[in-house]
Order: sequence, then structure tokens, then C-alpha cells
Amino acid sequence: MEIAAIRTVGLTRRFGELTAVEDVSLSVAPGQFFGFLGPNGAGKSTTIKMLTGLLEPTAGRIEILGQSFGAASLELKRQIGVVPEGMALLGRLTAREYLRFVGRMYGLDRETTHQRTDELLDFMQLTGDGRKLVTDFSHGMQRKLAMAAAVIHGPKVLFLDEPFEGVDAIAAGMLKTMLQGMLARGATIFLTTHVLEIVERLCSHVAIISKGRLVANGPLEELRAGVVSTLPDVARDERLTLEQIFLSIVGAGGGEPAQELSWLT
Amino acid sequence: MADLSGQGFDLAGLGAEVTSASSRAQYAAMAGLRWHLFVNGVRSRMGIFELGARTVTFLLFAIFGLGLGAGAGMMAYLMASSGMWLFLPLILWVLFLLWQTGPVMMASMQEQFDLGILLRFPVRFSTYCVLYVVFGLVDISTILGGLGCLGIWLGISMAQPERIAWTALGLLGFAAFNVLLARAVFAWIDRWLTQRQTREVMGALFMVLLLSLQLLNPALRHKRHPAAISAQQGPAMAGDPQQARAAFMARYGDWIRPVYRTQEWTPPGLAVRAAQMEAQNRPRQALLSLGALGVWVLAAGGVLARRLRAEYRGENLSWAPNRKKPAGALAAALPVEAGWRFGGASLLIPLMEKEARALRRTLPLLWALGAPILTVLVMASLLRNNAIGSSFPFALPLYVAFALMGFTQLFSNNLGAEGAGIQLLFLTPTPIRTVFLAKNLFHALLFCLDAVLVGGLAILRMGAPQAVVVAATAAWVLFALPCCLAVGNIFSLRMPFRIHPGRIKRQRGSQANALSSMALLLAVMAVGLGIFWLGWALEAPWLAVLLLLLAAAAAIRVWLYGLHGVAALANQRRDTLLQTLMKTE
Repeated sequence: MEIAAIRTVGLTRRFGELTAVEDVSLSVAPGQFFGFLGPNGAGKSTTIKMLTGLLEPTAGRIEILGQSFGAASLELKRQIGVVPEGMALLGRLTAREYLRFVGRMYGLDRETTHQRTDELLDFMQLTGDGRKLVTDFSHGMQRKLAMAAAVIHGPKVLFLDEPFEGVDAIAAGMLKTMLQGMLARGATIFLTTHVLEIVERLCSHVAIISKGRLVANGPLEELRAGVVSTLPDVARDERLTLEQIFLSIVGAGGGEPAQELSWLT
Repeated sequence: MADLSGQGFDLAGLGAEVTSASSRAQYAAMAGLRWHLFVNGVRSRMGIFELGARTVTFLLFAIFGLGLGAGAGMMAYLMASSGMWLFLPLILWVLFLLWQTGPVMMASMQEQFDLGILLRFPVRFSTYCVLYVVFGLVDISTILGGLGCLGIWLGISMAQPERIAWTALGLLGFAAFNVLLARAVFAWIDRWLTQRQTREVMGALFMVLLLSLQLLNPALRHKRHPAAISAQQGPAMAGDPQQARAAFMARYGDWIRPVYRTQEWTPPGLAVRAAQMEAQNRPRQALLSLGALGVWVLAAGGVLARRLRAEYRGENLSWAPNRKKPAGALAAALPVEAGWRFGGASLLIPLMEKEARALRRTLPLLWALGAPILTVLVMASLLRNNAIGSSFPFALPLYVAFALMGFTQLFSNNLGAEGAGIQLLFLTPTPIRTVFLAKNLFHALLFCLDAVLVGGLAILRMGAPQAVVVAATAAWVLFALPCCLAVGNIFSLRMPFRIHPGRIKRQRGSQANALSSMALLLAVMAVGLGIFWLGWALEAPWLAVLLLLLAAAAAIRVWLYGLHGVAALANQRRDTLLQTLMKTE
């Protein structure tokens, strides 16, 4: 039996009285581009933090490449790359200094770190801004740098929390090319984003979380077929967009505003 | 595997981990990171100014540390050479208090580095702990405490050269305990402050403590009846120290002796006891003391490791979402934000209300405001019982001036707590001038409240001053306040730094801002002092009041003029303000 790249069983995280993630069980096969969707505050980022070992689950089990955090946490961290929610950049470094620091922290030797740093800066078209401090970068440039830092050690599993937020079309295209290249070489990618069009284009499998609970999980086509079968007004052969699927699963009861804001012009 | 995140504990394995090739590479990467941060910090003119200010601060602390070391050493020498081992722990207790309160009190005076950013890398727990402790070694309080210990060691060694080794061992244990405990205290306080509710509760408790002290003060004064005081001080006044000591011990000995015996088993007591026992040729007792000190060191290390282990395994509370709001009818029945609310229709009112709410949740600022009151309480109590204090007629202006020190951070960095909200100031149609006016009025109001508390305290402890002193003090406040507000507005726009309401680890501070505002305060105090001196030297104290009122009128005019210019300066500095105050790392 093939070992799942990511597997969770009964994953739960509570913050005091609030249950942010409840009983989430999912499995992502190696080489899969997995989209993890949900409305704001649904528990996506909390799940990613748990999956990357940054937050301890209250209950449940996590396995990445067949290993669980704990005894093998160091080895696991070497296998995964993360673009976290806040990007976690160090503003008072230049892009080159930052990437070299990250490479060394991941245990790469000096020569490899320097070589990969140069290649990544070239690929991300950041070489010309070598003297600029990260804090002076635009939001999109910072995203590209965060992505470069996440892949410098050649991770087998990549976790991306809103990587396309604030990124222009050119940079987004560049990032997609890079991700597809990684995928072709066998990496697994776990993506959360609100840009459903990107998920629809890139991801083969999708899971949807709402109010901390997993409400849908499977190949995109299966989800589409499932939703079509539950909607009486939709023809069986109609191809629903991911946005329609998402809204029909999550948006029911919460999609319409309670009242009109009559004072809005 | 000796990783402390696991269940077992293997000291040899831990040593190998801490010095492994991967750990060494990570230490080197961290050292490189610190170097790059330093070099990049001086790339701008402001950065060079900041470096200069840091150098001045370092020199000031170095002088203070050397003075502390020399003083502690001299006292240790006198005590050790006269065989008064009994009193040696007192010096170590003072050092202990300095060491433990320093990191939190001086957090904004030194650059903090949140090691939480390392958790996404494959960093061992042992490496994480080593880095956390090593960062603590360059803390100002550790340097001061270390110099104090060095002074004590030199003092005892000069008095009794044969005690060099045992004193060194005892003091090393004491220093290790302090370093670990200070880091643990810092980490725990930082953890508590990550939650808004905890911050508010601690802020409220802090204020209650201050008010309690104010109420306690007259109560104590009433209790200490003059007859009782003279009866207590009688033998001392007679000039016979032996008799005075005997009388003192007869009166307080019953509770001093058990307290002393108890403290002998605490780190300051044990550090001294080890050397004392060895001096008395009791090596077993000396070894026992060192062993007990070792247990204290391990305990402090354990408390720190427990906190760091929680952080390492992912318990960063700043990520915690807000607590669930009550649903349905209950939510509808509750007001949006329970509690007080300012009334009034002026634009200034919501701005001042926002300032009050933000201040309530920013413990570092609350501490800065309250600390002078506590200090004044101690100073007043010390001065009151000696001849200088009881006849000092200028206690009121002195204490009120001291209270102003707590406000330097508020005055000179009044945008610091805005964070990303700074954008709103530029987006809303509210004039920037109105925003600054509201901030200035609110801060002035707070200072007046603080000054009344401090003034009341001074009067209660030292007696009522002459009416002319009260008038001159009030006139000086009228002069000093607009001066500080006017220049503070400029500093706030020119040298802003972000104040994080909770995480002490994320305070970056600005030495340039701190030193410039301190220089301003000294200048304002010097003007006041000069006018006071002139008035009293010419035996025309009311002249001082008049001159101070004239200076106040000029200062108010300058402040109002400055307010007209803040909008232009804010717009000119908009990019820098947004960049600096919205930084999250």
C-alpha cells in the first residue's frame, strides 16, 4: 500500500472554548496537487500550522510521508516547505541574505545554499533588487521571496497558505510554472487559497472545511458530480464552476446578507 | 535521542546534540543573521543615528554597571574583611531583584528577537534552548548582574584570598540561576501578555496595586506615631551602634532570625554560605550549599525548559482566534463593547476614547506610567526618615518632574501603538492635526492625573509645601507639558517605532527616540531648575512663578504652532510611518 504524503486522523485543535478544527481526517497521495478551501475563519491556516508542526493538535494524528511529528519532527521539517500565512520574512535583510540564512537553517552546505540562492533569485526575477531590504519590497515581491525560501531545500511536500495573494499575473504565472515543475518531479503540494479559479486549474483533489469541520473531500470531478446530483434545477451534464460547487456546499444559509444596507449608494 | 521534547533525559546525548554539526551550522547562521541585521541597520542616516544612540546607552549602562560592580565589591570587601558574612546575602538579594525585574522593565531599551521564527526550521529543542539562553546573556540586566557578581568576587577575594575558588563557584551558580530564571520569567510573562484579556487583567491589577499603595501610605503614616518613632530611634540617636544593634535585634530579632535562616537556603544565601562554610573549615556544609544551589539552577532551568518546550511544540497563543461570541438572543442583548464610553459629539471624543482603550491594553505603556509613582513612593519613604528629606521644601516639584519621565514614551512615540491602524489616519477625512490634538490632550490629562497622585503622595509623606512652591510647580507643568508635547509630536513622526501591545519579545524600541526625548526632558527640567533657583536666590519666589507662566505661554504658542505643521510632516513621512508601524516581524 502506498504511503500517503499527508494523512490526518481525527485532527482537532481547540483554543479555550473555541474549536477551530474538529475531527478532520484526510489523505493526500504523493504527487498530488491538493486544494484546501474554506471561508474565512474556517480553520484552514490552523490546519496548515498543525500539518507543518508549528501548532500542536489538541487531538488526532498527523503523518507526513508516513512519519509523525514528535520523534521524527526534525527529519520531517527537512522534507517539507512552507509559505506561512504571514510569510515570516525578516524585513531587515536583503533577499539574498534571507535565502542564505534559510538555506543554512535547513542544513544545506554553504556552497549549495549560495548556488540555489542565486538560481532562485534569478527565477523569481529578484536579482536586480539584491541590495534592497525585504521590508522595502512590494507585497508581490515578498510573496515570491517567501516562495523561494519555502523551496530552497528541495522539499517533498510543500504547504502554501494563500501564496497568490497580492501577486500580479506575471508573477502568478511564474509561480504556477514552478509548482507544476515540482509536481512533475513528484512533489506533493497542499494549497489553501481564496482564488478558486487557481484551484480549479491546478488542483486534482479538493477538500472543503467549514466551521472547523471537513464538509467535502475528493477529486474535483467527484465533488462536481455530487453537487449536481443534489441540485434539482441543474441539468446532469452541466459543468459547474468550483465557485458554484463551493457556494452550494458552504454558502447555504450564509450566502445572502440578512438585510439590505439601504444607506449604501 | 536526548531531545527534551521526548520523554527521556540523557545528559551525554544532550551535550552531543548541542554541539553537533547541524547545530553548529545553525548557530553560525544565527550569528550571521545578527551580523546582517546590524549592518543593514546602519544603512540609513536614521540607522547611524540609532547606532550612535545605542552606543551612548551602552556607555551609560557600562558606567552604571562598573559603578554597581565597584560598589558591590567594596561592600563585599568590607563585610568579608570584618567577618560580617551575615550581611553579604543582602548584596546578592539586591542583584537578584535587579536581574529578575530588569529584562521586562528594560525590554524597550534593547532590541528583542523573537526566536519563534526558527520553529519552522529543523531546529532541535536543545539548540532552541541554547539560543534562547545565549540571547539572554547579552541582556542589559545580565551584564549588570554579571558585573555586580564580578565585583563581589573581587571584593571577597581581596579580603580573603584563600576563598577565591569557593566564592567563584558560589557566584557562578548564583549567576547561572539568575540567567535561567530571568529568561524563564521573561518567557512566562511574554506568554501571559499574548492574550488581550490577560493584558487587561494585569493592567487593572497593576493600577489597583498603585492605588492601594497610595491608600496604604497615609495609613502607615498614621500608625507610625512620632512617639513610637522616637522610641525606636532613641538608641541610634544616642550614637552607640552596638546598643542600637542590640535594641534593633531585641525588637525585630524574633522575625529576622527565621527569615534569615530561610533565606540561607535560597540562591543568594547559598552562594554566600558555600564560601562562609569553607572559611569555617566545614567542607561538607560548603559542598552541601553548592549542591543545593545546583538544585536551584536545575529548577530554574526546568521552569524555562517547560515554557520553551510548549513554544517548541506549537503553543503560540498569539495565533489563537478570538473567543467565540455568544450567539442568538444573548448576543443581540449585549452591547457591542461592554464597559465605559466617552460622551460628546466632537471629533476629539472618539479619538480620545480610542486612545484610552488602546492604552488599557498596552501593558508596557501602563508600566511606564505607573513606575514613577512606585519610585516616588520609595524615594519619599527613604527621604522622609532623614534630616535632608524632612526639611526639603522642593519635594513636590522634584517628584512631579520625575513623574513626567514615565510619559516620555507616550509623548515621543504617540503613534507607536497604532500598528497597521496607522493607515486609517491617512484614509479617513479626519485631519491629522485633530488626531494629534486628541492624543496630546489625552496624554496631558493622564499626566495631570499622575502628577496629582504623585503630588498628593509627596505631600502625605513629606508634609505640605509652601503655596508659592505649589504655584511654581503648577506653572512649570504648564511650561513643560506643551514643550514635551510639541517636540514629542515631531519625534513621533521622525523616529517612530512600533509598540506591540503584548509580545515583549517583539518590542524593537528606538534608542535615538529614547535618548532624544530624555535630552528634551532634561532641558525642560534645567529651565525649570534655573528659574526656581533665580526666584529663590533673589528671595522673590513669586518672580519664578511669573517667569514660568511667561515661559508656559510661549510653550503653548509653540505647541499650537507645531500642531498646524503636523499634517504636512505626517504626509511627508507617510511611507516611512506606514513601513515602520505596520511591520510585523
